[in-house]
Amino acid sequence: MTAVAFTPGMAALILFGTFFALLILRVPVAFALGLACLPPLLFEERLSPLVLFNEGFKAYNSFILLAVPFFLLTANLMNIGGVTDRLVRLSRTMVGNMPGALAQINVLLSVFFAGISGSSTADAASQGKLFIEAQVKEGYDKSFSIAITAVSAVLGVIIPPSILMVVWGGVISTSIGALYLAGIVPGLLIALSQMATVHVYAKRRKYPVYPRATLKEFVVAGVESIPALMTPFIIVGGILLGWFTATESAAVAVIYAAVLSIFVYREMDHKHLYSALVDTGKLAAITLFCIGTASAFGWMLAYYKIPQTLLANVNTWGLDITGVGLLIVAVFLVAGTFLDAIPAIIIIGTTLAPLAASVNMHPIQFAIIGIVSLAFGLVTPPYGLCLMISCAVAKVRLTYALKDTMIMLVPMLLVLLALVIWPEIVLVLPKLISPELVK
Amino acid sequence: MKKILDFYHQLLTWLLVASVAILILPVSLQMISRFTDLLPPYIWTEELSRFLLIWMILLGAMIGVREGTHFDVDVWPVLSPRGDAMLRIVSQVFVLIFALVYVIWGIAFVRFGWNQTSELAELPMTYIFIAWPLTGLTWLVFLGESFLANLRICLHKDIA
Repeated sequence: MTAVAFTPGMAALILFGTFFALLILRVPVAFALGLACLPPLLFEERLSPLVLFNEGFKAYNSFILLAVPFFLLTANLMNIGGVTDRLVRLSRTMVGNMPGALAQINVLLSVFFAGISGSSTADAASQGKLFIEAQVKEGYDKSFSIAITAVSAVLGVIIPPSILMVVWGGVISTSIGALYLAGIVPGLLIALSQMATVHVYAKRRKYPVYPRATLKEFVVAGVESIPALMTPFIIVGGILLGWFTATESAAVAVIYAAVLSIFVYREMDHKHLYSALVDTGKLAAITLFCIGTASAFGWMLAYYKIPQTLLANVNTWGLDITGVGLLIVAVFLVAGTFLDAIPAIIIIGTTLAPLAASVNMHPIQFAIIGIVSLAFGLVTPPYGLCLMISCAVAKVRLTYALKDTMIMLVPMLLVLLALVIWPEIVLVLPKLISPELVK
Repeated sequence: MKKILDFYHQLLTWLLVASVAILILPVSLQMISRFTDLLPPYIWTEELSRFLLIWMILLGAMIGVREGTHFDVDVWPVLSPRGDAMLRIVSQVFVLIFALVYVIWGIAFVRFGWNQTSELAELPMTYIFIAWPLTGLTWLVFLGESFLANLRICLHKDIA
């Protein structure tokens, strides 16, 4: 092997230095990642910019990633087809009598929504429109309303189905079915922590309450929502029973949402359908485009053996499993502030996997704490997509709702900490329902 | 000129919508053929859906440059319209470099795949690889348009 022109340290400096410098200049993340690869690609005799194309092609030519547009389309179809409206009604009969009713509904709807769609950004976009203005009208503070919409949207990728779990399972070879099961308990715990936060806010700020719903109203709303609420069971069950793959399950979700919208709730017309397809295509494409350049960036890191060099250092610290868990959480939280979750999985998840394995951390626990940490990154600036979307819907700058968002993150971080310390929280459902996937 | 670009933009959007809508078909066919005897188990369905996905991604990436929707990280305080336009020019110069890379090496990439056909459906790979240089070219056009618009803001004394 001929020598490489740069040492790992120098290469890391060039790659990350260029990347951050370009980010500060407001070059879009996808382009900054690709451009950062250029100096070494042009300098090294054995490399050429064709690496960008090969890696891009390999990344996009993936059956797994098809799940991304499908999950987004499912969410968009639900919104235009009246599914979301039914779930709002059901949520209202369930938590409407609690202080801060509308905000509690906001959180509970995110739980239902998360069970049908695998995308947090779709959740933030649709619920932003649904709740922020309505909450402000009822006397909630605007920054609180934006913050709770954004933080509850992160449930989208924690409660199955989940785009991030599909990607993680594809990139780091973990059973997606097991990940889906493992995400349920942590997702519900995080939702509970958010409802508790809303409760404290509502008590202190005297946010309004709705009259208690009658049992009949609850039953009617529940029956109306049953077809919609079956979606997660169809998806997760179908995968566990081996009926279809993760990508196919996302396609099933699309078809199911379309059937509900057209035949059951009958609220879809072709104009709405067109806009759902446009929104899906645009958002899916820019999200996925980033994966191509992120893969090239990850390839460069591997070429210079940067991950191994970093890990060689960490291994000398002699961390135990909890220590490694905390380190993983810290790395993903920091990365999540400036990187999209999918490139972060490709670049960092693959880097940390050997470290997690070295302390015998269960691959499913590793995946879940990684995914939850990255999900929290969806609300942390400078690059927190859900917070960005919520703020964009409310037409304010990102910093406007920052304080409330950070306050709401504290209880969520405590849940994450519990997931690190007690792996059983993550592993209990997969062990119970499909032990063969957990080994 | 703007009209031509608007039409091109609309055309790309239609193609994007078509690719999203069609994407669901091969995956559904695959499942139908597995569970019923209505269809033979086609082997090209998976490949076709992957290739459609590639085109969908790159079509969306083209449109994203004109609409300015590619995600960026904004660490700047509120800038004046002129300052904002200047920063946009700077950042777009870098996107332009990337677009040039896509055109120049993209053509090499297409040449490289000239005689290849896909594994399953035996489609010429040129149909797929051509998407990269086309993306680069489209970016160049859209960036040129945006550059002129930003330049006008920078030179316009009243706004700043």
